[in-house]
Amino acid sequence: MSSIQISNVTKRFGDFTAVDDLSLEIEEGEFVALLGPSGCGKTTTMNMIAGLEEATEGSILFDGQDLSRTRIQDRNIGFVFQNYAIFTHLSVYKNLSYGLEVKKFAKDDIKRRVHAMADRMSISHRLEQPAASLSVNEMQKLAIGRSAIMEPRIFLLDEPLSNLDAGFRAYMRAELKVLQHEFGQTMIYVTHDQIEAMSLADKIAIIDQGKLMQYGSPLDIYNSPNNRFVANFVGSPRMNLIDGELREEENQLKLMVQGGAEIILQGQVKSDFTSDGKVHSGSFGIRPQDIYFGERRASNDIAMKGTVEILERVGPKRLAYLQVLETKFLAFDDQDQLKLGDEVPFFLPPGKSMAFDMISGHRLGSV
Amino acid sequence: MTDIKTNSASSRTKQKKQGYWAGVARDGNKMGFWFVLPTVLLLLFIVVFPLLMQLYLSVTWWTPLEGIAWYRAWEVFNWGENYWFQLTDSRVWRALWRTVLIMIIAVPLQFFLGMSLAYLFIDQFPGRKVFYSIMLTPMMVVPAVVGLMFFLLFQGTGPVNAHLGLPSTFSWLTDVNRAMISVIIADVWQWTPLMFLILLAGMLGVPSDQLLAARLLGGSNWQNFFKIILPRMKAVIIIALVLRAVECFKIFDLIFIMTKGGPGVQTETISLFLYKQTFGEFEWAYVAAIGLTILFVLSVIAAKGLAYMAKKSG
Repeated sequence: MSSIQISNVTKRFGDFTAVDDLSLEIEEGEFVALLGPSGCGKTTTMNMIAGLEEATEGSILFDGQDLSRTRIQDRNIGFVFQNYAIFTHLSVYKNLSYGLEVKKFAKDDIKRRVHAMADRMSISHRLEQPAASLSVNEMQKLAIGRSAIMEPRIFLLDEPLSNLDAGFRAYMRAELKVLQHEFGQTMIYVTHDQIEAMSLADKIAIIDQGKLMQYGSPLDIYNSPNNRFVANFVGSPRMNLIDGELREEENQLKLMVQGGAEIILQGQVKSDFTSDGKVHSGSFGIRPQDIYFGERRASNDIAMKGTVEILERVGPKRLAYLQVLETKFLAFDDQDQLKLGDEVPFFLPPGKSMAFDMISGHRLGSV
Repeated sequence: MTDIKTNSASSRTKQKKQGYWAGVARDGNKMGFWFVLPTVLLLLFIVVFPLLMQLYLSVTWWTPLEGIAWYRAWEVFNWGENYWFQLTDSRVWRALWRTVLIMIIAVPLQFFLGMSLAYLFIDQFPGRKVFYSIMLTPMMVVPAVVGLMFFLLFQGTGPVNAHLGLPSTFSWLTDVNRAMISVIIADVWQWTPLMFLILLAGMLGVPSDQLLAARLLGGSNWQNFFKIILPRMKAVIIIALVLRAVECFKIFDLIFIMTKGGPGVQTETISLFLYKQTFGEFEWAYVAAIGLTILFVLSVIAAKGLAYMAKKSG
């Protein structure tokens, strides 16, 4: 078990910068998810941690110790591949025992550990069968068990659930969480699925185009995104992000959206937008569930009016697409009160709204 | 059999085109017969006929020198005397032994060299493509030309002696032991590339993520080679070895040019022996008997071997 310090790591492939000046501090026993869209550099980051790729600049320390000169086979890093990389020519038993055998553990010890791990992963009944005969779900368990049996200093998982069917994915998600508690391992988990990241990780590192966008607990990231990218990336359905020009008219600060819609800024979000005094174009963000209908609940809630264009059933609620001139707002209609084509008033609480700089993407005001 | 196949294959379209396809299916047997007949006749002519002719001659004393047409060979029928004679003919046994000797030295050498080279070539390195092409050239050279090349190289006054600083009286091709070594070196030079090519293809078929996984689990390159790469290449290795062993058994042109089987009969393989019997002694009936015997023995070995492999791979 180890803590990991990644400091100012950059990885270039020719002219292409895959990872750009990335720093992360991972505590011992923590479960960290690297989350980002495809091609954002998260897998490269993980490969560098595993030692499969060498960092162009910067350092990666395990408990303060630099392993970049240590051979891969001596690093003792657990790695679960996206496609599991099961040794299909060997039996399940031989797959589990591989690491122990090459490290010359005693026969009895190997046998005991393999049986314990097979029990833990509930694949005992398959031990003597060829690994190629396993189902995808069992291969997943075998892949994790094969790494876990070595009691690695850290555990890296590369999109391990992406090949599974939906039902087993949910089960395996819960299982992984349990395993992580049991092993008490430092785990790093690469995924592009924010639900996996949210439900599993102690901390999430959001990466885009090789840069670290935000690093924090799932709730932190959800509630107070650092920038426009994170706000847009995290949350389902996505946050409403309305881009426009800031204009002061008759003592009011307005966000003028292309197409004619305007938001009269109030309260907290108004002071956020003006906080550095230089911003001319901004992005107004609010999550769908924070928009409400009916009576105004607080005097400085921003009032809007829009036409209900689409209603989409999502479980007990309905998702409403509200058209304000050329601008679309997404909101939840939780009491089935809206009708298609209605023009309805709706409200945006300033305290739950967020302000971003359009140019830099940074969050404005107090975070 | 043909009927059932044709029917099931067309069953999906049956409802739609029943009348038309039904007719074809019923005529299938007859039509098929006429379609394959020319090929069958050709095969009969070039395979079965010579084989029967050989079998016929092999039980006679017939030789082209006596002016009797081959079909009248029954006049000198000898009740399989040739077959008995070859078993006691030490020339046959020695030639066989020399052939096997070349095989059991050259083929493993080619295998180890080919495997090592293949292992080098799975990594990317600058100039890999160029070296790859260069590596394969020996294989493309006509064996007779390879024979000539090594004939020249191993001359007393040739480059090999000059390079090793040996006197020009130090002979390779006319020395009792070194002639064999020279021939084996030439064969290894020519056929290592084929081994390399087949083994590289097999090695590239080993999933790279499994190798990576094996390394991350702590296996050294050496351990991973024996536990992951080799077992996964088993089928390819067997194919490569069988292919080379069979080819090596038939070795002829290389030796014919380099030593003509000499000095004496020191490098005379079974092919060279048969050649000399055919065009030197004109004992065609005897050659036919030996040829058939070798064919029979090799067939049995191959069949047994294949059956064993099939059984092992389940």
